[in-house]
Amino acid sequence: MYLAWKEIKHEKLRYGLIIGMILLISYLVYILSGLAFGLAQQNTEAIDSWGAQSVILDKDANTSLQQSMLTKSQTDKMTLTKKESYVGQSAIVAKEAKHAKVSAQFIGLDWDQFIGQKLVLTSGHKPTQANQIVVDDGFKTSNYQLGDKIQFNSNTETYTIVGFTHNAKIDIAPVVYGDLSTWQTLKKLPDTFVASGIISQNAKYQPGVDQLKNYSVAAFINKLPGYSAQNMTFTFMIAFLMIISLVVIAVFLYILTIQKIPNYAVLRAQGVPAKVLVSNTINQALLLVFGGLALGVGLTALTAAALPAGVPIAFNWPILGGVTIGILLTGVIGALIPVKLILKVDPVSVIA
Amino acid sequence: MENKNTIEMHHIDKTFGHDTSKIQVLKDIEFTAQRGEMSLVIGPSGSGKSTFLTIAGGLQTPTAGDVRVEDTPLTAIPVKQRDALRLNKIGFILQAYNLVPFLTVREQFRFVDRIKGATHMTEDELMTLLADLGIQDLITKYPNELSGGQTQRVAIARALYPNPEIVLADEPTAALDSERVTVVGQLLHDLAKKHNKSIIVVTHDMRLKQYADHIYEILDGSMRQAS
Repeated sequence: MYLAWKEIKHEKLRYGLIIGMILLISYLVYILSGLAFGLAQQNTEAIDSWGAQSVILDKDANTSLQQSMLTKSQTDKMTLTKKESYVGQSAIVAKEAKHAKVSAQFIGLDWDQFIGQKLVLTSGHKPTQANQIVVDDGFKTSNYQLGDKIQFNSNTETYTIVGFTHNAKIDIAPVVYGDLSTWQTLKKLPDTFVASGIISQNAKYQPGVDQLKNYSVAAFINKLPGYSAQNMTFTFMIAFLMIISLVVIAVFLYILTIQKIPNYAVLRAQGVPAKVLVSNTINQALLLVFGGLALGVGLTALTAAALPAGVPIAFNWPILGGVTIGILLTGVIGALIPVKLILKVDPVSVIA
Repeated sequence: MENKNTIEMHHIDKTFGHDTSKIQVLKDIEFTAQRGEMSLVIGPSGSGKSTFLTIAGGLQTPTAGDVRVEDTPLTAIPVKQRDALRLNKIGFILQAYNLVPFLTVREQFRFVDRIKGATHMTEDELMTLLADLGIQDLITKYPNELSGGQTQRVAIARALYPNPEIVLADEPTAALDSERVTVVGQLLHDLAKKHNKSIIVVTHDMRLKQYADHIYEILDGSMRQAS
């Protein structure tokens, strides 16, 4: 560590540039991880908040809540427990004269079932009358407030915001919780359609109707529009960045090692063990990567604080920890590549 | 009875290459270095002086023959043990790249302490050694701030710093003026006489002859004692 640190201190510009490069790579990886996690979270926030274990849908709806419809004749054959809740989903545009339009997801509920009962509000109260709704905090960024009367799509009916809830997003859109009857109105459905599906906290709940099927929450989430493609895109971007950082770090350390071969040859001639020089190279790589990562974390924190609330970025310690360990490992692997050069240093070359 | 011989080389041959490109650099070398003596090895460029030095210091092994350093047969021990022998028993004074470029003069010595896990000289002793070589004011300088002669003197000081039993020097006065040659020659001579060290110097510099107990000449790979 002694040689590694002394060299970095003496060659500030050279090592500063390498640290700067690792900083930029780690910054990019952290931001991409934050965006990937933030977007993934906004796809499923509401579903996660329900604590659901399974989703019951029409088996021909391609695992899509929006495409599924449960008829009264089907639901009449089913027995719902305290762990099941009907939901009706519809994509909407919420508008109010004084505020900007908001693209949202309407979730119709039976407020006596578990989702409605367990919904946690950040302000206001749950609906007590018809045409009352609870909306996600995301509406506040467009200055919506309690008591605002809003309309959905081209319907003339108005709905009053009586409560706000946090972390309620589906498909990256804020959720509007209302009645199942409102969902029927928005979908222009007759009373013979009861809901889009059933959310259950029981993984093994069986509807007992041939046309309906139980899907695990994981399977349901993976089928959310664009969810898997988006996650795979980010995963590949991060993986490629890791590979690029490995190559860049390895190339830099390789060049640095080549430049130091004459010095290493002298030290080997003097009897300095090769393991001291190898550990020096690995320690130096770790110092550089640690430095770059620490600055990358700082810059990421500053960026996250400065980004507007609408940017879907979120950080999660296990993911950040995984990314950090990944970059550290790439640094160590990068440092191990020139080790062969060090082991082959010929001390005779400095005399003969 | 203590063996006064520090390095013994018997029937040393060294050959490079194979078949038609085979070159014999050293032929049947017989050499012994003793404590309390300074030996000078001279000869023209390409005569095999440097190869002789690398074999004497355990940096490479001979094609044939036997080398013993402090009674240890170098050809029979593994590389790690040879490294340890060099680190603990031999001080090298080399021509080029002698110093670690990112360490100050003081740190060059402290680095040796770190590697060997022991402090070899107090600050006063170190300053005395540096003063003997006229480089006591350079303690905070980096190698790129030193002249060629200053660099060479720091390298000499570093080789002597761990108090080695044997000092192997490759052209130690190559970058020095006459005044400094006298200082270095006298210092190496004193090391042999006052501190009972074994000094072997490979050089072109005939100004060092007056300090040597033995002078050997290598010519076309063969060694003979010179007058």
